[in-house]
Amino acid sequence: MPIRVLPELLISQIAAGEVVERPASVVKELLENSLDADATQVSIQLEEGGVRRIRIADDGCGIERDELRLALTRHATSKIASLDDLERVASMGFRGEALAAVAAVARVRLTSRTRSARQAYAVHTEQGGDPSEVVPAALAQGTVVEVADLYFNTPARRKFLKSTATEYGHCEEAVRRIALARADVALDLSHDGRQRLRLAAGHETQRLHALLGADFAEHALPVSAQAGPFRLEGRVLPAPMATARQAAQYVFVNGRFVRDRLIAHALRQAYADVLHASRQPGYVLYLDVPPELVDVNVHPAKTEVRFRQPQDIHRLLQQAVERALARTLVASPDRPQSAPFARYAESPPSQAVQLGLGVSQPRAAYFASQTIAKAWRDMPSGEGERAHAAPAASIPDAEQALTRVSAELRRDAEGDLPPLGYALAQLHGIYILAQNAAGLIVVDMHAAHERILYEKLKQGQSGQFASQRLLLPVVLTAGPGEMATLETHAVALAELGFVLGRAGPEQIAVREVPALLAAADVPALLRALLADLAEFPASRVLEAHRDELLATMACHGAVRAHRSLSLPEMNALLREMERVERAGQCNHGRPTWVGWPLAELDRLFLRGR
Amino acid sequence: MLLLKTERDRLLRPLQAVSGIVDKRHTLPILSNVLLERTDGRLTLLATDIELQIQTIAEQTDASEPVALTVSARKFQDILRALPEGEVALQAEDKRLLIRSGKSRFTLQTLPAADYPRMSASTEVAVTVSLAQRHLRRLIGLVQYAMALQDIRYYLNGMLMVVRAGEFRLVATDGHRLAYASMPLPGVSEEIDIILPRKAVLELARLLADNDDPVQLRLGATQAQFNFGSIEFITKLIDGKFPDYDRVIPVGHDRVFALARTTLQAALLRAAILTNERFRGVRMVLSAGTLKLVSNNAEQEEAEELIDVDYHWEPMDIGFNVNYLIDMLSNVAVEMVEISLKDSGSSALFSFPGQDDFKYVVMPMRI
Ligand SMILES: Nc1ncnc2c1ncn2[C@@H]1O[C@H](COP(=O)(O)OP(=O)(O)OP(=O)(O)O)[C@@H](O)[C@H]1O
Repeated sequence: MPIRVLPELLISQIAAGEVVERPASVVKELLENSLDADATQVSIQLEEGGVRRIRIADDGCGIERDELRLALTRHATSKIASLDDLERVASMGFRGEALAAVAAVARVRLTSRTRSARQAYAVHTEQGGDPSEVVPAALAQGTVVEVADLYFNTPARRKFLKSTATEYGHCEEAVRRIALARADVALDLSHDGRQRLRLAAGHETQRLHALLGADFAEHALPVSAQAGPFRLEGRVLPAPMATARQAAQYVFVNGRFVRDRLIAHALRQAYADVLHASRQPGYVLYLDVPPELVDVNVHPAKTEVRFRQPQDIHRLLQQAVERALARTLVASPDRPQSAPFARYAESPPSQAVQLGLGVSQPRAAYFASQTIAKAWRDMPSGEGERAHAAPAASIPDAEQALTRVSAELRRDAEGDLPPLGYALAQLHGIYILAQNAAGLIVVDMHAAHERILYEKLKQGQSGQFASQRLLLPVVLTAGPGEMATLETHAVALAELGFVLGRAGPEQIAVREVPALLAAADVPALLRALLADLAEFPASRVLEAHRDELLATMACHGAVRAHRSLSLPEMNALLREMERVERAGQCNHGRPTWVGWPLAELDRLFLRGR
Repeated sequence: MLLLKTERDRLLRPLQAVSGIVDKRHTLPILSNVLLERTDGRLTLLATDIELQIQTIAEQTDASEPVALTVSARKFQDILRALPEGEVALQAEDKRLLIRSGKSRFTLQTLPAADYPRMSASTEVAVTVSLAQRHLRRLIGLVQYAMALQDIRYYLNGMLMVVRAGEFRLVATDGHRLAYASMPLPGVSEEIDIILPRKAVLELARLLADNDDPVQLRLGATQAQFNFGSIEFITKLIDGKFPDYDRVIPVGHDRVFALARTTLQAALLRAAILTNERFRGVRMVLSAGTLKLVSNNAEQEEAEELIDVDYHWEPMDIGFNVNYLIDMLSNVAVEMVEISLKDSGSSALFSFPGQDDFKYVVMPMRI
């Protein structure tokens, strides 16, 4: 094909691809425009997940009649005029790109009236993205942007859109982000005629309450720190409140929601000591940086930023969050002291991690290790090597071999050591080390327990679950959504072994829990379950989604990492694993244990070569 | 400078009393040390984990010059334990501690005492109580096993201590069962409710002697202090609201019968062998004159135990987590226990016949 200059519309559509990824990006861009226009009240109406229609009305400064057509033109902006401006941009928008990009892929109608204008005017885009003539229109004040039939002219992109519910979800998330950043702006959101959010302008705490739930608003610890020109404010959830579910994780840089690797890293470090990797920290943080010290023009959706002084930012975040979290570690008069007492786990009597001497191995063990060595040799070329060089990458292979081996082992070692052997010690509160006839077994404690629970829950599924009545009902604060789910799914919950009641307009009392999960973190378990249930219709939910629900229950019922287990407890777990079907993999398909036959270990130490 | 010269055991025993709380894995290195201090002619040993602090007087000395240093608790203890019985001399020497005994000689590194995070005895003490060590020890033993372990309701990971006019009470619960024990406390009119952290409770139970020597309790809003023998024991408190135990302890359960504790305990221990290892359910099936314990496990193996009891109400069938029952039965040293029931959906109350100073409430399990 000869080189050709692309037609303008195509250029715009290509550019639009970056800015307007999905309906949610339109919502975000338009909302940001409203904020830049100093709106105090914005209402968002969506139809069919925003694909069919997005209408955003604000009471901001409006656009002059003469500038209406310009607003829809590429690279037309009122927000910056020079490179200098760009370097200290304080507004959300600055490229003059967004409206034009939207206009390239949808039908746009823009109606606006400035404070001083006697009349409102409107433009819409013609086929091809060009703005129409300006015509008079009716509007009290501010701007209304209507975007219809997104991607009507780019069917390829349209194909990438997900279900209405998913697209709507992304749109709502975009609104939530803005709402968290700007508690002073009233927002309401409706979808297909139904009101979804109604947020009055107000205080930050009210916003947190409304958007992230009472638990977050009440338990999150304040963060406030300043380092040079950088200022950090916000709230972090104490580690014991963290759940395995995706929690609220919001970071705003100068009011702009960002997903930044540097920031994420700093937060992970701050949480490192107090939170196991399987749990999700929760935070809402606002970082204020002088505009000239941060570059926001890095990513088309502006969700990435580049700091001029990354180390300073990293240090500020890590230290401030660590300090906030540590407040639960030292006794302070106004905070629960959960963390220090969590440390009081009775550790098992210290056991020397000493493998039995080779000579005292039962005979069967000797044969077993021969079998294992053979099984490793039999694997397709190089598998054995890889398995030990990079266990993570080749676990399925190793796994397969080991399943085969353990079957043989059972036959060989019958009457002697059980297949998974006996526990020696717990490693970092995460793994159980055990010695079996073949060598070393390493068990992922949580994953294994989760698997066992899941299988047991499934076994019990046809009948009723045994359930433990609670002497002290567990009361948890729930949002209106959770309350509604509770009502809709009351029958299913009862059948799963929960007896629940309303303890107040926003409180759920748990009176009975499945006995298998009696030691679980009940509020977290129930919340996760409600979150699952909320996505399913009430009828036939158990027929259709039982396994998913049981998996959620198993995950939350399983021993938490960093919980010390005694040797008898560990051995009990090993025995259960041997009995339970498919115990070799957790519900997420990861292995629950791996074995290191002595021959393999020997190889690591270059023995027997 | 010579710190002290004494019999090995007169140093080892107090050291063992304090070193139990030293956290081996603590991130602050100095917290794995024990503080040795000589003031007013006494040598004291002190250990803390920041939440809990134990100090004990090791020895009277003639020398009066004050000395204070900290040294690794574990190494110090290991050395003393490994030495033969006999005289041991401690000598402080330029950032080192010298231990000499017979032909052995050890030099240990020290950290400055000034850096040691010691808690001071609180000035705001609301209530002072004096009990015989034996009594406090017994009372703790009656409830301690019901404390929660690593519960997110942090206030359950401890034991409630209540002083009411004329009465002293301890309560512990993990949300499934609750243990309550009380004793008369003449001559005290103040009232206070505090929650002692689990670790402090266990440590206290370990240190209290089984005799009539007094233990002084000085209870405040944020800290509790226990003085007994040569030990001063200070712990921070859990700041939280303990559940209302009065509401949980049932009244008016009218099916009441007593039976020998060891008979029930032994039968439950046997039945427990074939309970489901996860939820440990055992059923109590009651009919005129008999209590039948039934358990079965996932493999459909079954155990059945019959006990004659004076039960003369409608038959009933109630399930429990067998561990909850065994826990209690193996921690109370009485002949007979009394069981009060209402129906299979309500809590069961265990007590000592004719007494109201011990109550153990267990919620049933639907099996
Ligand atoms: N809701 C609104 N109220 C007032 N003016 C608006 C509004 N929406 C858009 N405008 C005007 O239209 C111009 C173009 O908007 P557009 O969204 O295309 O670009 P931008 O916001 O300047 O930059 P960016 O592409 O970075 O978002 C803006 O600079 C602003 O002057």
